[in-house]
Amino acid sequence: MAPPKRMSGWRQFKAIIRKDIVMELRTKEMLTSMGLYALLVLVVYYIALSQAGANFQVRQIAAGLLWLVFIFTSLLGLNRSLVHEKDQGCLDALLISPIDRPVIFFGKAVGNLLFLLIVEVFIVPLFYFIFLGSQSNADVGGPVWMIVLALFLGSLGIAGVGTLLATMSVNTKGKDFILAVLFIPLMFPLLLAVVAGTSAVLLAEPGYAAVFWQMMALAAGYDTVMLLAAYGLYEFVLGA
Amino acid sequence: MTETNSTECALEVRGLSRTFGARKALDKVEFDLPQGAFLSIFGPNGAGKSTLLKVLSTLTTPSKGTARVLGLDVVADAVALRERMGLISHNPLLYPDLSAEENLEFFAEIYCLENPKERIRELLVAVELDHRRLDLVRTFSRGMLQRLSIARALLHAPEIIFLDEPYSGLDPHAMDILDSLIAQVREQHTFVMVSHDLSKGLELCSHALILAKGAVVLFEERDNIDADEFAATYRATVGMGVA
Repeated sequence: MAPPKRMSGWRQFKAIIRKDIVMELRTKEMLTSMGLYALLVLVVYYIALSQAGANFQVRQIAAGLLWLVFIFTSLLGLNRSLVHEKDQGCLDALLISPIDRPVIFFGKAVGNLLFLLIVEVFIVPLFYFIFLGSQSNADVGGPVWMIVLALFLGSLGIAGVGTLLATMSVNTKGKDFILAVLFIPLMFPLLLAVVAGTSAVLLAEPGYAAVFWQMMALAAGYDTVMLLAAYGLYEFVLGA
Repeated sequence: MTETNSTECALEVRGLSRTFGARKALDKVEFDLPQGAFLSIFGPNGAGKSTLLKVLSTLTTPSKGTARVLGLDVVADAVALRERMGLISHNPLLYPDLSAEENLEFFAEIYCLENPKERIRELLVAVELDHRRLDLVRTFSRGMLQRLSIARALLHAPEIIFLDEPYSGLDPHAMDILDSLIAQVREQHTFVMVSHDLSKGLELCSHALILAKGAVVLFEERDNIDADEFAATYRATVGMGVA
């Protein structure tokens, strides 16, 4: 009989991520629902903006439109990620195992971040080609890596806060509703930062870099505070 | 970690209460259980059986009183205790979109087992699922799920096993297999089982406990129990209502 080894949070963390990836590759539930939803929103944007007239500059509101897609798309994925754990009592199996609660949080949050980033990899170029690439000024604006940084910091906050709130709401009757009601207001400071930062890069007006870094500092600060809060609160949220 | 001196005691429950708002799910529960014993917990719906099991298995915390499992406090030493206990529930606690082997591999990683492949193979053979090890769990019958659930619970060689209505929904053949699996590991483990099935619970147990309205109505060694009297006491508790 194999004796238990000393518990390793890193090994447990990797196991949770690997399990989530294997299950997602097999079912494609989260990626399909998130991807299709994002595509549908782009179609709605296209129809709405095609009525706006030739002089309308989509670039002025592009960052807001883009982040709106990701915020609502992420809600679909966040709900699914915890429902998987709850469905067959698997969360209880994790909770009675010798695993620190923050390890569960970081495992689930990193999985959610990964799936959101995968959707973004497909949606961002598509968004660019549909709404910005066809315009007379088809440049991104500022450097692409700045957009990537904004996307990463925004997604990190979405995954972190979203995983905490999805865990809180998974035991409630109206989990979809409760997650949405809590998530959007809590995300407001982050949304403000990443929309303003992304917009600054897309518009690339004089002094945009200073605005961008200011907004990224706000986003990074938000992520740090919220991730630390989630780390501290996760055991309480799980109720064990 | 706060080990007690009474190492031969598997469970020491003192004045244990658990409230949910104004409702008392457990009310000053007290009993001791020796190591290697098999405790069957009976009681009507809402008597507090599952809450007691949840407190003992560290899934929820007591509102008052203390519970020590294998000498470890269920609150202060919860992480250390979790390394030494297993849970078999009427819920399989398995991921349906992973294969039998992948499920056990996942939990082997969570328990940080060394040589998990060898242990997993050994358990899959024991629960007669070796031939289905690569199949997704969602394709399994209820009996197969329960057998795999037993393999999951035994993976890290726990010293105490909590069983929450393990026979619920099983056909007679699956019940026989579960009986034989419990018999195989019976000697090396302490068992705590919640059950509605009086005859099955009494057949397996060395100690029996009846809960009603969250309080202990009866706690006795099996040898001192007359089955008819016990059944009469149990029937009387059903009329006492929920906690």
